[in-house]
Amino acid sequence: MFKLEERKASIQPIKSKLKISILDDQEISQINQNTRTVLEQVGVTFPSDKALKLFADVGANVDFDTQLVKIPADLLDKYLATSPRAYTMAGSRPDLDVHVGDGEGTYFYCSGEAPKIVDFETGERRLSVKQDIVNHARIADYLPIVSLLWPSVSASDKGVTSPLHGLEACFNSTEKHVESESVMDKVSARYAVEMAIAVAGSKEKLRERPVLSQLLCCIAPLAQDRGGIEAAMVFAENDIPVGFMSMPTLGLTAPPYPAGALTLAMAETLSGIMLTQIINPGVGNYISVNPGMLDPRTGAYFMGSSVAQVLNVAGVQMSHSNGIPVLACHSFGGSQYELGNWQAGYENLYSHFLAVMAGADMSFGPSGMYEAVSLLDHPRILFDREILRVIDEVTDGMQVTPKTLAFDMIKQIGQRSAYISHKETIKAYRSMWRRDSILYEDGKAEGRKWRDPVEVAREAIRWILENHNPDPLPDDVRQEIRKLVAAADQDENLKREIKGH
Amino acid sequence: MSQEMFDKLAQAVVEGELEDAEELAKQALEQGLDPLACINEGLTQGMDRVGELFAEGEYYLPDLIIGGEAMKAALTVLEPALTGDQEREVAGRVVLGTVEGDLHEIGKTLVGTMLTANGFQVTDIGVDQSATEFIAAVKESNATLIGASALLTTTIPEQQKIIEALAEAGLRDKVKVMVGGAPVTQAWADKIGADGYAEDAISAVSVAKKLVKA
Repeated sequence: MFKLEERKASIQPIKSKLKISILDDQEISQINQNTRTVLEQVGVTFPSDKALKLFADVGANVDFDTQLVKIPADLLDKYLATSPRAYTMAGSRPDLDVHVGDGEGTYFYCSGEAPKIVDFETGERRLSVKQDIVNHARIADYLPIVSLLWPSVSASDKGVTSPLHGLEACFNSTEKHVESESVMDKVSARYAVEMAIAVAGSKEKLRERPVLSQLLCCIAPLAQDRGGIEAAMVFAENDIPVGFMSMPTLGLTAPPYPAGALTLAMAETLSGIMLTQIINPGVGNYISVNPGMLDPRTGAYFMGSSVAQVLNVAGVQMSHSNGIPVLACHSFGGSQYELGNWQAGYENLYSHFLAVMAGADMSFGPSGMYEAVSLLDHPRILFDREILRVIDEVTDGMQVTPKTLAFDMIKQIGQRSAYISHKETIKAYRSMWRRDSILYEDGKAEGRKWRDPVEVAREAIRWILENHNPDPLPDDVRQEIRKLVAAADQDENLKREIKGH
Repeated sequence: MSQEMFDKLAQAVVEGELEDAEELAKQALEQGLDPLACINEGLTQGMDRVGELFAEGEYYLPDLIIGGEAMKAALTVLEPALTGDQEREVAGRVVLGTVEGDLHEIGKTLVGTMLTANGFQVTDIGVDQSATEFIAAVKESNATLIGASALLTTTIPEQQKIIEALAEAGLRDKVKVMVGGAPVTQAWADKIGADGYAEDAISAVSVAKKLVKA
């Protein structure tokens, strides 16, 4: 068991010494060229008058009737050039800042926004509520492997303003950077910006240290969501980083071939990024490619395929080739498995292994999700963390030094003896045998049998929930964001806007 | 003065410092300290602490082994200095070895370390030892327990030979036998009439404690 003791939040990216690539330079160039040809000749739908006008004003080929935007390659590249390769997503303290694109490794999200939760006390599956977001944010705040948070579940008790209640729950419960992916209309976005300004201290401080970011899902193939893109414009105007996620489903919303699907993903995300750069040159962006395929027998959405993993790594290369940071995809729990299913283990392990080795700037990570990210179970996050612990160790490679070559030890021990009582063995075991694990927990009973990790994880989660109570906001700020969310709850304009799209 | 030396001896065991333990033992004798007190108030206290740290998960097997070795190093100095009827208090006396035809050592050595760490006086006769050699060691050390290790399916019958040899020597009612090793099971132990079976070095301690009390 890792040591359960009260401590301040910290973050810990994983840096890999091992590198992997799927595409060579020529293949990257081919997909980039194909993407630009698609944007020039096929185009992307932007169902927002404001967005269409902005594109038209800078010289894109815009059809206002069909809401279709076709973008010449040189125009695209001109605006991509202002999107920064590196920037900061701020936590409440500088040591919690996520330095996107700094090459210091892959930062991990606790993501989700699942609709359901396994009740920690009763084991009952139920719709999630706001307090569940508070609880999971406190757990994520405690775990250094989590660098950024989404509201982990929906606040189903709060109606259409659930996304804003989710942000409030996170801001009140973690010192780490908060991101939203469910604020999908411009009115809610303005409330979210006001909340971020309150947390940052002022509009200027928010500009310097964006404590909020936004992820917008594109609509495959080749379209943007009206409310989502209008929200993205509001965020971009206020210097809040905006990421774009494409979710091509091979053979359904994208060509069945990975290269064609990746082309679509790049066209969708790059067109969105271009829009935010027109609005606010230099605002932070990232790309996320979340590929899936259908189970051809049932039509069920399947995230865990090996094809999807290949696309995931290729997506990292494509994003970087365009100078844009990347959030590698596949949350833990992205497949249809349950905890304890061996399929869960191998899919989670290799998808995150690949993301880290591909050099993703960020990755979805330890979230506590399963059943295709539709169900949160708090203790599950510690199993996700366990997989990342192993990835951290393996991608650290092997040290070959005079000390580790151990000639002196080999000479000293000689033949038919054992190294176990050598002083260096003791020291080495202390660093090699990781103790911050829920596995191999000593039962302390006679015979020293390992405890069930599920039981150990539940014990750790209970301790965190009872003892870790971060209080990141001063009372006046807490009250200010409470007022904003309460106002949103009463805002008829917001309700009309959400119903309208 | 003496307490200070006892603490140093204990600490040398806790830290697994063989040379320090041996040197401190010599200094203790030079200072005229009672060797039995040095053992009971120093080394044994240190070994108890090592056992506690192991139980708490702070120490690993290498720590136990090296702690045991530090204790042994000091005992080589202190035990010969015991006088008259002085005798080190032990949990039990055990003869430990790997059976004839079998060269596997590590498991047997770990069992020895664990037993030593838990207060047993262990006579480790090594690997490839015949039943006759086990019996001779029992007679010499006055042991009441034999631990016989076998790692091969072809050598586990040797464990049975040890039990038979004990009976022939008229020692079967005085000496208990515990068996272990990868191919050994409780069913095998029962079949050959062994008194105990331990699947690993940790459980060997509790089995040994039960057997010496029985």
